[in-house]
Amino acid sequence: MNFVALKMLFGDRAKYMMLLAGLTFSTMLIVQQGSIFWGLMTWSQSGITNVNAPIWVTDPNINQVEEIKPLADTAVNVVRSVPGVEWAVPLYKGVQRARLRDGNYEQIALVGLDSSTLIGRPHTIIEGRVEDLRAPDTVAVDQTGVKRLGGAEKIHLGATFEINDHRVRIVAIVYAQKSFQNFPFVYTTYERALGLTPPERRKLSYVLASPQEGVSPEELAQRIHAQTGFGAYTGEQFGWKTIWWMLENTGIGVNFGTTVLLGFIVGMAIAGQTFYLFTIENLRQFGALKAIGASTAMLARMILLQSFTVGVIGYGVGIGLATVFGLTAGSGGALPFKQTWPLLVGVGGALFMICSLSSAISIRKLAKLEPAVVFRG
Amino acid sequence: MVFRRLSVWLALAGVLLTIATLWGARDKPMAPAPMELPPRNPYASTVAAAGIIEAANENVKIAPPVSGLVTKVYVKVSSHVQQGDVLFQLDDRELRAQLQTKTDSLPSAAARIAEQDIRLRDVEDQLQRLQSVKDRRAVSVDDVQRKWHEVEATKRELIRTKADLRLAQTQRDEAQAILERLTIRAPRAGTILQVNIRAGEYAMVNAIEALILLGDIETFQVRADIDEVNAPLVVPGSPAVAYLKGQTKHAIPLTFDRVEPYIVPKRSLTGDNRERVDTRVLQVIYQFEKPSFPLYVGQQVDVFIERELKDVVPFTKEKEKPAEKKDLLPLKKE
Repeated sequence: MNFVALKMLFGDRAKYMMLLAGLTFSTMLIVQQGSIFWGLMTWSQSGITNVNAPIWVTDPNINQVEEIKPLADTAVNVVRSVPGVEWAVPLYKGVQRARLRDGNYEQIALVGLDSSTLIGRPHTIIEGRVEDLRAPDTVAVDQTGVKRLGGAEKIHLGATFEINDHRVRIVAIVYAQKSFQNFPFVYTTYERALGLTPPERRKLSYVLASPQEGVSPEELAQRIHAQTGFGAYTGEQFGWKTIWWMLENTGIGVNFGTTVLLGFIVGMAIAGQTFYLFTIENLRQFGALKAIGASTAMLARMILLQSFTVGVIGYGVGIGLATVFGLTAGSGGALPFKQTWPLLVGVGGALFMICSLSSAISIRKLAKLEPAVVFRG
Repeated sequence: MVFRRLSVWLALAGVLLTIATLWGARDKPMAPAPMELPPRNPYASTVAAAGIIEAANENVKIAPPVSGLVTKVYVKVSSHVQQGDVLFQLDDRELRAQLQTKTDSLPSAAARIAEQDIRLRDVEDQLQRLQSVKDRRAVSVDDVQRKWHEVEATKRELIRTKADLRLAQTQRDEAQAILERLTIRAPRAGTILQVNIRAGEYAMVNAIEALILLGDIETFQVRADIDEVNAPLVVPGSPAVAYLKGQTKHAIPLTFDRVEPYIVPKRSLTGDNRERVDTRVLQVIYQFEKPSFPLYVGQQVDVFIERELKDVVPFTKEKEKPAEKKDLLPLKKE
């Protein structure tokens, strides 16, 4: 019986293609939009993931990572005094202006790392040595910076430019996840960052901390908050805080949500309609099957088999196409494109719903089917 | 059927490609290990502070008693001096000349005493002789009386001349003392940390920069700044350790010295002409012996002061699960 069902499905090439196309493009649209959305969210918290610290301590009213609410210098030692803290180091973070040798200005995201430990330094070093940041007047620039500040022939190891009228020398080219604002990341030491930036009463942007063995980051973050009154978040919590802020304060969520919903509706409309037509067209065959004694349940199983077969194939092709899109258009991090397991599972669920709903309509038709229809013309 | 197969293969390829892509991007990169181990608290519970190394008993800024021209500097940076060793010499030519004059006036005063002494003996002799004449008619009473007065006057004169000599001596001693003041000596044993004066320069009494900075660099002390928020947590006498910036392998054990009773504004030296004051800090002084590795006065350190466990504000979760307390506060062994 199942064989017959599949034969019926694949036999009608035009309808099969139509069904497949509908489901494939619906899947692709949802996956592609969802991935770009997630990519944007990844970019928005790149300030956190690039530093990759267990715990972030800052002002309790902080909304998101790019919003700097600086603390007094002594906050580092106040955090160190909280039981369960393995270490705590300062981090400077802020947007500054870089002036290039040709007179052009660029905004940069300056990151000042604790000079002795360099905690928070980038993971991937493309060229040079990040340890050389301890030498005077040195910075490390990320791959976006190389592109933005004038290309590889101007930005290379040993090249110089100015940050707020202070001359700095590049000692390393690093890889960093792009940020939402897309300012290049420039790394230096905390003390030098204080010197490079205009005078301000408070300059300590964040205190990075790590829990001792046996203390979970969540627990310690909560404890730091309870004892010091500072806002303390684990990297993950801070990332989600940033994402929620983005969703609440920008139109990104609504925009992508609408597109995903449209993909779902269009996919469902095409698949439902085509499948219904397909069933109507094969009504005589179903009638014949019913006449020779097939129960409605068996017919329903056949319909479901057909619908899920085409659904699974459409899903496979759809996510494949979306991946190919991501690999080509989004190569080298030019486009915020990031697929995740939950997204793929969610799309699978949506497709399952599309298939179930469209087969439900057909099954309803078949349930009312009289076997006599086969004799009617 | 060809089409069916193609679509199935395409679907399979799509799923495999996606899985491969996701698999390739699955691992979140681990944070790179710190270049140096960050300074870590060795105690169960701590009060952390930022410290600066000073020479024990503070550094002495040597100042001259009077302003004057420097003629010679006897010490070099890092030379060791004992109490009373000469550090530098101010111009003393004028005082030396005065001393000479005063010294030279002494022999004449002494000679005058000798001279008057002889005269006294002479008149005393004359008086004795007049008195020894038995015959009252041979010597007039008037003569004897006059001689007697002469003897007494000469005696008083001798006393005055002796007093004059003492005065001259005292004046010489005074000049000597003033002269010695121009030689600046070490008030205590120590090492010369800075020399900011050279022969030929004029030393001001109220110079802003210390002319010579003297300190004891065998024993150091750490001035630890504790945020006023944490000031109540400090128990005087608590043990502490310090780590040099960028060198966390060696902990420097500290011995408690004292707590400064006055809370001062913390200054961050930014190089700006207006230095910013952001918070007030409690200063606690700890002493330590010179360690085996090089270390300099003025270096910054991270200080961890042990804090009594009973002071630790209980964490809400600990109250619910007291068994976890031990895990929460593991003692670092090292």
